[in-house]
Formats: sequence, structure tokens, C-alpha cells
Amino acid sequence: MVSATKLLVVGMADAKHSREPGQTLVTYALGSCIALVIYDPVAKVGGMLHAMLPQSSIDPAKAEVHPAVFVDTGVPLLFLESYKLGAKKERLVVKVAGGACTHGDPEKDMFQIGKRNVLMLKKLLWTNNVPLAASDVAGTESRTVFLDLETGRIRIRTPRGEHEL
Amino acid sequence: MKLNVMVVDDSAVMRAMVKKSLSLCGIELGEVVEAANGVEALEKLASSWVDLALIDVNMPKMNGEELLNHIREDEATVPLNVIVISTEGSETRISRLKSKGARFLRKPFSPENLGNQIREMLGETHGDGSGNQALPVSGPDF
Repeated sequence: MVSATKLLVVGMADAKHSREPGQTLVTYALGSCIALVIYDPVAKVGGMLHAMLPQSSIDPAKAEVHPAVFVDTGVPLLFLESYKLGAKKERLVVKVAGGACTHGDPEKDMFQIGKRNVLMLKKLLWTNNVPLAASDVAGTESRTVFLDLETGRIRIRTPRGEHEL
Repeated sequence: MKLNVMVVDDSAVMRAMVKKSLSLCGIELGEVVEAANGVEALEKLASSWVDLALIDVNMPKMNGEELLNHIREDEATVPLNVIVISTEGSETRISRLKSKGARFLRKPFSPENLGNQIREMLGETHGDGSGNQALPVSGPDF
């Protein structure tokens, strides 16, 4: 159990970074949103993005003010800010969770936001030569994601329980 | 960035031709995984990171259309880029494949045809709107 004072909460459409040992980054209740988690095990720098929508082209003005809303503007922000704290791209372990269809029936999910979020993320990582180490995406469950900055361990909590990513 | 590709065809000669075309079409290749039918392809997809699957239609055990159905039904593979490469002449079947998010390339094809299909799929060029709708990538490099 992590004490509340050690929790650094990443809100919806938000990105946070830390290199404080003992701290845990957390983002709650991912539905179709995705949490991209990056961690440099040498510098012990971690970052987490909670992005809601795949493409900033639908609202460039919003992306300018709140880049973390969108995958295509939030992901570069997450990486570039982590470099300022000492993370190195070649050392970063990159994992993703979320992208669910919380309506229950993926067939009826007309906009397929979760799937498109994951697709955009993979394309961005691919074009920037970043391998994805692990993913826990799709499905219909809400996920809460924790990143332990001391160990780099990522835990995912769902209504069915908790597991490591 | 290197592209990991799976080539699915029951003919080893055709797999070799597709691989040769890939090497000539100007795409930076990563790992190339081969499978002789749909069943083998699904097994390898479960254990390999594949960015693009090039699949034949007429194969034993599980044909290309059945394979595509499995790919689109599995949450882990549903976003996979797929190009069907075949002599298939039935427009009905081709439309059905395209409706499942696959592009179609008719045999015989040139490395340029293949390269153009892949670049369109990746959003590097604009195609005719058929097949997969590529998401344009914006934002700064990182």
C-alpha cells in the first residue's frame, strides 16, 4: 500500500514526471484513455501521460494549451520533459495501458477512441524508433495505473484485481 | 524505423518473392517472419512483434480471409496493418477484405506497387482512400 503523501496523481489529460525515490505516479480510471508510462532505470526518472484522444488536428487550439489531451501532442511532451530530468531515450522502458471500450460492447463503439488512441501511440513510437516493452490495452475494464519510481514496477488495478505490467 | 513484417503464403517460392520485393521497395525492414498458413500465422503473431502482415488468400488449414477475421477479432491484433496479396478476382471478396481494414494488392505486383501500398498505409503518402485509413502523425519528434 502506498501512502497518500508519496502519490503523485496524474489527472486526466495530464502528464507528470518525477525522479524522487519512493514516490509513485498514479493515474485513475482509464477507460478509452491511455496511460503511457516511461521509466529510465539508471536515472530513476519516470513519467506518465494520461491522454484522452488520438489526434490534435480536431482542436489545435486546445492542443496548444493542453497538449496532454491528445496522444500525438502528449507523447512527445512526455518524452521531451523526461530528458530534462536526466532520462535517456535509449534507456527508457516504455509501457502502455488503457484504450478500453467501457461501453461494454466493442461492436457498438462507433468512434473506437480506445483503439485509435493505441494505434496512434504505436505509430508515434514506431516513427520515433521507440520500442514498446509491454502493453495492457483494449478490453472493457477501467484501469488504474501505478508506477513505482524506485523500482520501475508498474501495477494495474482493475475491478477484477491487480497485476503487474 | 524498421518495419517488422509477416509474410503468409503457402508457397515458399512466393514468400521468397514477397521478401525480395520488400527488400527492393525502399522500406526499412526489421524482422521478417514467415508463415505457411493462417494457423501458423496466428501462432507467430502471438509471440512476435509484427507491424505489417502480407497475406495470401488461398491457403490450406486456414485461408487469408479467415486469418483476417481472427486478426480483427483479437484485441491484441485488431490494429495490425494488413495487405492481402492475391490473384483473387472476385470483387465481392475483395470488398469484403477491404471492409475488414485490409489493403489489396493483386499478383503479379512490382516492388514499387508494394512499397507504395506500405507508404500509403503508414501515412507517408496519400492513396486513393481504399483499405486502411492511415492516421497522420503530427507533433514534434522525441
